[in-house]
Amino acid sequence: MRTLFASVLSAAFLVGVAASPVLAASSQAVTSLRRLTQAEYRNSIADIFGPEIEVRGSFEPTIRIAGLQAASTSTLSVTPVGFESFTQMADSIAAQVTAEKYRAKLPCKPKDVKAPDDACSGQVLGHYGMMLFRRPLSSEELKNAVGLSGKLAKSQNDFYAGLRYGLASLIQAPDFLFRKEVAVPAAGKSYTIEPYSRATRLSYLMWNSTPDAELLEAAKSGELNTAAGLDKQVNRLMTSPRLDTGMKAFFNDMLELDTFDTVSKDSILYPKWSSTIAASAKEETLRTAIGLALHDNGDMRDLMTTRKTYINRALAADYKLAFPFKGEWVAYEFPADAGRSGVLTQASMLAMFSHPGRSSPTKRGVALMDIFLCEPTPTPPANVDFSAVNDPTGPLTVRQRLMAHASNSACASCHTHSDPIGLSLEGFDTIGGKRSEEKGKPIDVSATIQGKSFVGAEGLGKFLHDNPKYPACIARKMFAYSRGENSEDVPASAFKAGRTAFTESGYRLRALIKGLVEDPSYFSAPAPEPEPAPTSAKTKVAAQ
Amino acid sequence: MKLDRRFLLRGTCQGALAVMALPFLDCFLDSKGKALAATGRPLPSRFGTYFYGLGLTKQLWIPKAGGTDYEMTMELKPLEGYRKKLNIFSGLRVPLDDNPNYQHWSGAAAAATGISPTKQSEFDSKTIDQQIADVISHGTRFKSVSASAAGDPKQSYSSLGGPNTLPAEASPLSLYTRLFGPGFQDPTKGDWKPDPQIMVQQSVLSVVAENRKTAMANLGAADKARMDQYFTSVREAELQMAAELQRPDIQAKVTIPTAPAEMVCNNALPNLKVSLPLMAKLGAMAMATDQTRVFNMSVSEPGSQIFVPGDSLGYHQSTHEEPIDPVLGYQPRVAQYNIQNMELFASYLKEMDAIPEGDGTLLDHMLVFAFTDQSFAKIHAVDGLPIMVAGGASGRMKMGHHVAGDSSPVSRVGLTIQKAMGVSLDNWGKGSMEIRQPYTELLA
Repeated sequence: MRTLFASVLSAAFLVGVAASPVLAASSQAVTSLRRLTQAEYRNSIADIFGPEIEVRGSFEPTIRIAGLQAASTSTLSVTPVGFESFTQMADSIAAQVTAEKYRAKLPCKPKDVKAPDDACSGQVLGHYGMMLFRRPLSSEELKNAVGLSGKLAKSQNDFYAGLRYGLASLIQAPDFLFRKEVAVPAAGKSYTIEPYSRATRLSYLMWNSTPDAELLEAAKSGELNTAAGLDKQVNRLMTSPRLDTGMKAFFNDMLELDTFDTVSKDSILYPKWSSTIAASAKEETLRTAIGLALHDNGDMRDLMTTRKTYINRALAADYKLAFPFKGEWVAYEFPADAGRSGVLTQASMLAMFSHPGRSSPTKRGVALMDIFLCEPTPTPPANVDFSAVNDPTGPLTVRQRLMAHASNSACASCHTHSDPIGLSLEGFDTIGGKRSEEKGKPIDVSATIQGKSFVGAEGLGKFLHDNPKYPACIARKMFAYSRGENSEDVPASAFKAGRTAFTESGYRLRALIKGLVEDPSYFSAPAPEPEPAPTSAKTKVAAQ
Repeated sequence: MKLDRRFLLRGTCQGALAVMALPFLDCFLDSKGKALAATGRPLPSRFGTYFYGLGLTKQLWIPKAGGTDYEMTMELKPLEGYRKKLNIFSGLRVPLDDNPNYQHWSGAAAAATGISPTKQSEFDSKTIDQQIADVISHGTRFKSVSASAAGDPKQSYSSLGGPNTLPAEASPLSLYTRLFGPGFQDPTKGDWKPDPQIMVQQSVLSVVAENRKTAMANLGAADKARMDQYFTSVREAELQMAAELQRPDIQAKVTIPTAPAEMVCNNALPNLKVSLPLMAKLGAMAMATDQTRVFNMSVSEPGSQIFVPGDSLGYHQSTHEEPIDPVLGYQPRVAQYNIQNMELFASYLKEMDAIPEGDGTLLDHMLVFAFTDQSFAKIHAVDGLPIMVAGGASGRMKMGHHVAGDSSPVSRVGLTIQKAMGVSLDNWGKGSMEIRQPYTELLA
C-alpha cells in the first residue's frame, strides 16, 4: 500500500501538488468564503475542461445585498436542493470528461483500460484538481480521490469509470464550489492574502472565471507577491478580450440586470412586449456598458448621456426604429432630438423598474438612486395614509398622485429624495417606448433634486453625469463586488486608491480596476480573531 | 442491520419496538384504525404549505359565526366545496415585539416560524415545513420539494433559517423533471428495481464527506456555519440515495403523467391558472408515490405582483391605491383579486383531493397550511392574518371549523399542526408568540 501511494504522490508531484511544507494550520485564516455564482461555475468548467463540456442543471438563486449579488455569495451556503444539483452536475461533467471522445485530452493513458492505474489517475486528478481548487491538492485530498478511482475502477473493471467518480468527487467538493481566500502572517502583526487566493480574486474579478495556468504559475513562483509581478499579470488579464466577460458580469450585477429574468408585462396593454425583447434589452445595456468602458476606453460618466447604443431587430421594433441593417446586432446612435440619454432611457432600465402595466416613477427613482449614487431609499412606513391619493382610474396624472405623497410629512422626505428622478423619466412608458401625453395631458418631466432643477431624461443624464457621487459609487461597487462585501459597509478609504486613479484617468474603467487591485492594501487582511480556548467550557463545568 | 422508518412502521407497530423511532402519535392513532383502513398498512404523514400574497378583506372573508355551522363568505366562496376539509382561523394576533413591521414580510415569517423576523426577507429559524420534514421525511427521496407557480425560484417560503432559502422549482416542467425525470424509479410499476448507480454515487459522497475536517479548518464562525450547512446537505444527499434503494410502499392509485410542455410562468393571472394546478398535481403525485412527504407551493411573492392583463394597477398596487368604496366599505377591485386568489387555492386543493388513497383521498391524509403576509394589505397590517388549514391528517385533526377571533398568536396554529403531524414538542414560537397550548379541540 505504501509503495502504491508513494508512486501516486511522485506522479502528482510532477503536476504540481504541494511539495513544500505548508504553513502550520493555526497560522492561517480563511478570510473569505464565496459560493460560486452560476456564471462563475459555468465559465470555470469551460476553462478547465473546454467549451464542449455541457453543464446542465439548476443553480440556487443568489440574493442582492446592498445593491450587489456578489455580496450574497459571502453569506449563502449550499442547501440540500442546491447540493442535489451540484452532485448531479459534477457527475455529468466527469462522465463527459472520461468519455471515449475526450480521453485523448487527458494527460496520460492507463496501462490497462480494464484495471486501476493509480499513477495515471493521480496525474489526471492532480492536474484537474489544481485547476478546480485553484491551488495544488493536499496529499490527503489527492489520496482520497485516487483511492476512490482505484476502488471503483476495480469493481467495475474499467479505469475510466473509476476516474469519472474520482473526478466527480472533486467537482462537487466545497473547495471548488466555494472560493476560499486564505490569509497568512506577513510583516509585523499584519496578515496578507496568500498567492493562490490572490490569483483567484484577480481572475474572477477580471475574467469572471478560474485562474489560468499562467496565473497559477505566477502564484506558485511567488511572482504575484511582487509589485512588478502583480503589475505584469494585471496588465495581461486586462489586455485580454476576456476582460469583456469579467466586466459584463460586473455590470450585470451593478445594473441589477438579473431582475429582468422575472419581469413580466401586461400582454393586453403592451402586446408588443416579448421575451425576445426582454433578452435583447438586457444585452443592449451590457453592450453599451462594455462598448463604452472597454472598446472605446471612454469616460464612464458618459454612460448617463451617450446616445450611442447597440440594437437588434427586436429592439428596433420596441424603439419604433427602422431596422434596415444586416446582421444580428448593429451600433446605432439615437438622433439628438430623440430624448434618449444613456442607459437611463434604455428599455432594460425603464422596464425593469416599472409595473407590468404602467411606469413607476417611485420604482425608477429608488432603483437609480441606489444603483448610480449608492443612496438607498429607506422603506416607507407600514401604515401609510393613502387617502390623499385619489382614484388612480380618475383624471389625476401620476405626478399629481405622487405629489400627494410629498405633501404628507411622513412620506415627503423619501419621496422628494427619489421621485424627482423617476418623474423626469415619465416620458417613457413601462416598456421603454416614448410618450408625451398621459390621460390627454402633456407629461411634465421637470424635476428638482438636491437643489438642482432639470428637465426630462437628458436633464437627468446630465445631472448624474456631473454628480461626483456617481463615479464614486462605481468605485465603491467595484471594490465591494471584487471582494464579495456589503457595499454599504465598505469605508471610503478602502477604495480611495481606485477612485483616485479613476478620476485622474478621466473615469476610465481600466484605470479604476488597476488602481484598486494594485493598491498595496488590496491584498492585506485583518489578523484573525483568536478563537476562545476550547478547554474553557470544560474548566467551567469542572469548577461547578 | 440498518433500521429505517419504513421498516419500523411495517414490522413493529404492534410490538414493543414501536416507540423507538416513530413519532408517538403514528402508532397510537394507527391503532384506532382510521389511517389503516383500506389495506391495514399505515399511510405516512404528509404536509404542505401554500403561500398566497396580500391577505383578504376582513369584512368579506371572516364568517359571522364560529364553529362548524358558519355561513360561507364572499371571499371564501371558492372554497365552499372543501369546507368539511378546511379549518379557518380569524382574529389571530401577530405581535412583533421590538422588531419593525417589515412590509410584506413580518406576517409571513411569523406564520411560518412563530418568530417575529429581525430582517427583511429572512426567516429567523427553520420554517415549519422543514421542522416537520425533520420528523416525517425519513426514507423518502426528497426531504421536501417547493414549487413557484409564478416561475421564480426565489418565491419559496421554505427555509433553513437566515438567507438560505430552499429554491423552488420554477415551472411545471422543471418540477416534473426533478420528481419524475432521471433517477426516478416508478413504484406504480411492477418492475421496480433500484438503480445500481446509486451505490456508486454513495461511495463518491462518502469521499466528499471525508474531507470535512480539512474543509472546516481555519474558518471564522459564520463561515464555519456555512461550511457545516454544505456538509449537512451532503449528508442529506446520502440519505436520499439510501431511500432510493427501497421501493416506496404506496397505496394511491395513480399513473405518473407524461412531462408537461414548456410554458410561460409569470404573474399574469391567466398563466397562473394553468401553471398552479399543474404543479399542484405533480406535487400531489409526488406525495402519493412517496417521493416526498413535504410539498410547498407558492402562488406569488408576498406583496403579490399578480395582475389581470389590461389592469395597469395589478394586485399589489391596487391594495395600496384603490380607494375604499364609501358605499361598500371595502376596495372592490382588491376584493376581486382576493377571490381569484382563493380560486387558485381551490384549484390546488382539487388536485390534492383528486388522488384516491386508502379510505379517502391524499388530501384527507395530509395537512395543508395556507398563510399570507398581510391581513389588511392597504396599510400593511398583520394582526388578523387570514390563516387556513386544509386536509385532515388521517383523522388527527378535526376539520370544518371556523376558529373565531380568540386573539391567540398566529403561532398557535403552527403548534397545533405540528402536534397533528406527530412532531414531539411542548411549545413553539418566540417572544410574545411563544405558545404552549395548541387548539386541543381540533386535535383528535
